[in-house]
Amino acid sequence: MSTKQKADLKVIIMGDFNVGKTSLICRYIEGKFKQQEPTIGAAFFLKQWGPYNVAVWDTAGDEKYAGLSQFYCRSAGAAILAFDMNDPKTFESLWARFTPMLGAANENCLRVVVGTKMDTVTPETREITVEDGKRLAREFNEHIDISKTPFEPYFETSSKDGRGVQDVFDYIFQYCLPLSDDQRKSQSKVSRSTIDLMDDSCVHKNQKGKCGC
Amino acid sequence: MSIKAFELVPAIERVKLMSDKAKTQIECLDVCGKNVYIGTNDCFVVHYSIEEETNSSGRVSFKTEKQGHKFLTVKKPVVQIKTASALNRIMVLCDNTLTLLNMLDLEPIMTGAKVKGVSCFCINENPIRTNPFSVEICVALKKKTVQLYTVTEDRLMHLRDLHIPDPAVAVGIDGIHVCAGLATSYNMINSETGQDQFLFPFDAENNKPIIKRISKEEFLLSGPSALGMFVSSAGNSKRPPISWSENLLSIGYVHPYIVAMNDEFITVHSILDMQQKQAIPFQGGAALDNFDGRLFVASGREVYALVPVPFEKQIQALLADKRVTEALDLAKNANRTGMTRDKFLKMYRRIQQQAGFIQFAQKEFEQARTLFLESEIDVRELISVYPHLLPSNCNFTRSVPALHEIADVTQLVKGDNSLLADFKYFLRTYLEEIRGTKAAYGFKQEIDVALLKVYAETNSPELQTLVAVDTGCDLHDCVEWLTKYGRFHALALLYKYHGENDKALGVWTKLVDDGVKDEAFPGLIFIVEVLANLSDHELVWKYIDWVLEKDEEMGVKVLTERPANDPPSERLRPDAVIDYLHRFPSAVITYLEYLVFQRKLEKETYHTHLAVLYLDNVLRLMKKDNVKKEELDSARSKLRHMLQMSSLYRVQLILGKAKETDMHAECAILYGKLEEHDKALRILVHKLKDFGGAENYCLVNSEGKDPAYRKRLFHILLSVYLDPSYERRDTLITPAVTLLNSSVAEFDTIKVLQLLPDNWSVGLLSQFLTRAVRSSMHNSRMTRIERMMSRVENLRCKEQCIELQRDPVVVNEERLCAVCKRAFNDPTFVRYPNGVVTHVHCAKNKFICPVTGRLFSSGSGAS
Ligand SMILES: Nc1nc2c(ncn2[C@@H]2O[C@H](COP(=O)(O)OP(=O)(O)OP(=O)(O)O)[C@@H](O)[C@H]2O)c(=O)[nH]1
Ligand SMILES: [Mg+2]
Repeated sequence: MSTKQKADLKVIIMGDFNVGKTSLICRYIEGKFKQQEPTIGAAFFLKQWGPYNVAVWDTAGDEKYAGLSQFYCRSAGAAILAFDMNDPKTFESLWARFTPMLGAANENCLRVVVGTKMDTVTPETREITVEDGKRLAREFNEHIDISKTPFEPYFETSSKDGRGVQDVFDYIFQYCLPLSDDQRKSQSKVSRSTIDLMDDSCVHKNQKGKCGC
Repeated sequence: MSIKAFELVPAIERVKLMSDKAKTQIECLDVCGKNVYIGTNDCFVVHYSIEEETNSSGRVSFKTEKQGHKFLTVKKPVVQIKTASALNRIMVLCDNTLTLLNMLDLEPIMTGAKVKGVSCFCINENPIRTNPFSVEICVALKKKTVQLYTVTEDRLMHLRDLHIPDPAVAVGIDGIHVCAGLATSYNMINSETGQDQFLFPFDAENNKPIIKRISKEEFLLSGPSALGMFVSSAGNSKRPPISWSENLLSIGYVHPYIVAMNDEFITVHSILDMQQKQAIPFQGGAALDNFDGRLFVASGREVYALVPVPFEKQIQALLADKRVTEALDLAKNANRTGMTRDKFLKMYRRIQQQAGFIQFAQKEFEQARTLFLESEIDVRELISVYPHLLPSNCNFTRSVPALHEIADVTQLVKGDNSLLADFKYFLRTYLEEIRGTKAAYGFKQEIDVALLKVYAETNSPELQTLVAVDTGCDLHDCVEWLTKYGRFHALALLYKYHGENDKALGVWTKLVDDGVKDEAFPGLIFIVEVLANLSDHELVWKYIDWVLEKDEEMGVKVLTERPANDPPSERLRPDAVIDYLHRFPSAVITYLEYLVFQRKLEKETYHTHLAVLYLDNVLRLMKKDNVKKEELDSARSKLRHMLQMSSLYRVQLILGKAKETDMHAECAILYGKLEEHDKALRILVHKLKDFGGAENYCLVNSEGKDPAYRKRLFHILLSVYLDPSYERRDTLITPAVTLLNSSVAEFDTIKVLQLLPDNWSVGLLSQFLTRAVRSSMHNSRMTRIERMMSRVENLRCKEQCIELQRDPVVVNEERLCAVCKRAFNDPTFVRYPNGVVTHVHCAKNKFICPVTGRLFSSGSGAS
């Protein structure tokens, strides 16, 4: 549970309560979707990325933990700002509540906007468009140079069926701790064995190509 | 989930004081070695000695004795005591004043060593300056300042002031970092730079801030929302928060447990998984802390120790609850004091094995596998859980105390056969995995026998490889088992592996004879292969009849496909074999072919025998009606090949038989062998009209002989073509001309011209003539070139010779013979090619220089 060895990167996930932060991490780490209790305070996961250790911090979305969440932001190298694709209020919160907290994070902290519960929205019901998401992602990252990344740090995910989840973390890790192609190959073997995303990730890779243009 | 990690054991039953008033309450507590100090609400400091005793059943008890007490006269509570044993002092905080007392007689130190206006203080357990005769402390004042002091026997030396936005209610210090609990937040202050870092908000009005240093550069703070927050000196967190109760009063820490106390409970939390493990009801707690790894807790009037339940016990309790992960986590973090690494590993492995069997029983095979592998379990423990899978002669007994309570897997599956198959599959994959690794060392037989039994049951194809290659399976109960499941082929392979070839063959022949089904058995061909590779020729002999009866053609392979290094034996001597094979006509041919073509034995009888058999075969076919042409052709071409290829058979014998029937092609070959080329070619030309064959005959029969021989053969052929006595000779003009013009045929041109009829036109022969002229021209030119080259060589030699003789040799009185060193009186002398000059009689050998001993070839003579 504890980071005995020093982590090479700290990633924090923030967003309103109930948007599905814990579910997202659980899907990534364990490859499963299971019912989560609301997070109390914060939780912590370690993930191996090539030769590196990455600490992933899950925070609680409830207002009463706001002070603590800011504390947990300290020296984060990347932040996942999660919102529920069904709920525009959670999207607004990212800007209103959470970006100010990231003042405590590293100066060049990468900020990734992630829509959750993609499985529950349809093109007709969704209120936040892909463009909105990308615009916010661009805005959030004006302080750093993201031109070397293949596209804006904006993702849509579903922890229920696994879509997009792997991509979020791959994107972040590859940006912060770039691996050579060989290292990545063996890395994906490791994660493949734990996370059953084979088909989905392939499908999504193609979509990624489209998004980038 | 709970576990009993600590036990509450009374240490000081009732604090005895001067004035035994009901109001007297314990306020604070410090334990140092065998000393206990208690501060009361009515301004007393009381000193006890304490002795820990463990009785034979492992129960811990304490013996305490009051040593003395001191009334501090201000009638205010004593809120903090800290012992500095190296200085022989205790530091006491009472009435906002920090003073020093003698540790033994509790007399105050009257050297003015005191600080006023103090709200709390703490010792720096990780000081930068490490002087053993001083202690560094951090003192929070009631104003917006924190001070650092160095404490010596009789002084408090002020080091520096740190300014903070609000007065501190709680402080902690590690190295240069001071953690302070303020009115509305926790802050981390760097004492060197004075830099003040805000950590997180905290409402100190309604909650008691607590700062507990738990390890180097790490603090545990009581945070908002009943959370315990871990904070490093750098101001961030390396562990997730602990969720504990509201209104905490104090915290203690003995790895791996955090102990927290509020006014009703003491709760125990694991720092490994942040979960609460135990709750002990405890009313009116006043103080709790860890002192040198021991936990003590005080209520208003009593002092207790929190004695850790031995790890082994905790772990066994967890295992009994099937809480495997927790048990292993705890075991890994177990206090190893007094344990060698080996002892620890042994303990840990045992726990892993117990855990492995728990997972196993719950069908968590993956985890079980990892645990078994890591703990290097004696594989027989695992096999023994499966009925009958250990070798019957194995005298293994499970380890005591038992690693598990599983009688055997049948008890676990309760009659569910597919589940039983899962369990067996687990065993199988596990054994396959460790087979041949270090973990299998010494247990090869047990592993292989268990695998054999599992394979046999499930009819796995792996069975064959297992028994045939480097197997640990003995014959003991494997034979029985394989028979029971009808795996006869595997049984035979096992016999064979153990050198019981006769038994193995017995099983296989029975498989064929009785038609017993065993899909693994490849059939007769397999037996043939085995026999062909068997070096025990007596045994081969025993079964040879049987195979040949079954299938002559396949059976004979036993004799013909023997390994290159097969030792010769009387049994398989070729002549004996041939004699024996009489009954099997096609086998004998195959065998002879093997001797003649493959082994290339050059013995006349084999060759003749084979040729005769071929011939008989052809004759038989010729006699029969409606024999397919191809069949006959192939038989004849075999015969011809044999006749042509070999020169060892008795030609006359074959020729006699061949002449009787019109086997012209064969006769031609046979005449060829007798060098009766004219006859042979006549047959080819006149009888067979096989002109190409005739030409080929010339080439084949002159192979390896000198060119004149070839020319002779071709000439004979031409003569046959042009034989004037042959009545249909006109038909042979065309082949004759073709032959002459052929590029492969070689002739002596003059002889050919003599032979040609005069009436042939030049046009007909133009090609031949052109070639003849051209080759003769060529010869002439080549000869001329050779001649010229010889001349050149001759000239060169002459030149060399002149060169050698050109130097004059002056002979006068001064010139002496190189051998006898006397003057020359004669005009004759000898000169060697290297210039040495001697008398004629001194030159004994004209090829050896008498001075240098150099040898001259006979070509370069002396003069
Ligand atoms: N359909 C669907 N439901 C989801 C998805 N992700 C999360 N949920 C549900 O949303 C609820 C909240 O999920 P959590 O992961 O606990 O949310 P959280 O952001 O961690 O909440 P806090 O810890 O309280 O901040 C749960 O009931 C999840 O089952 C998703 O991708 N699809
Ligand atoms: Mg959560």
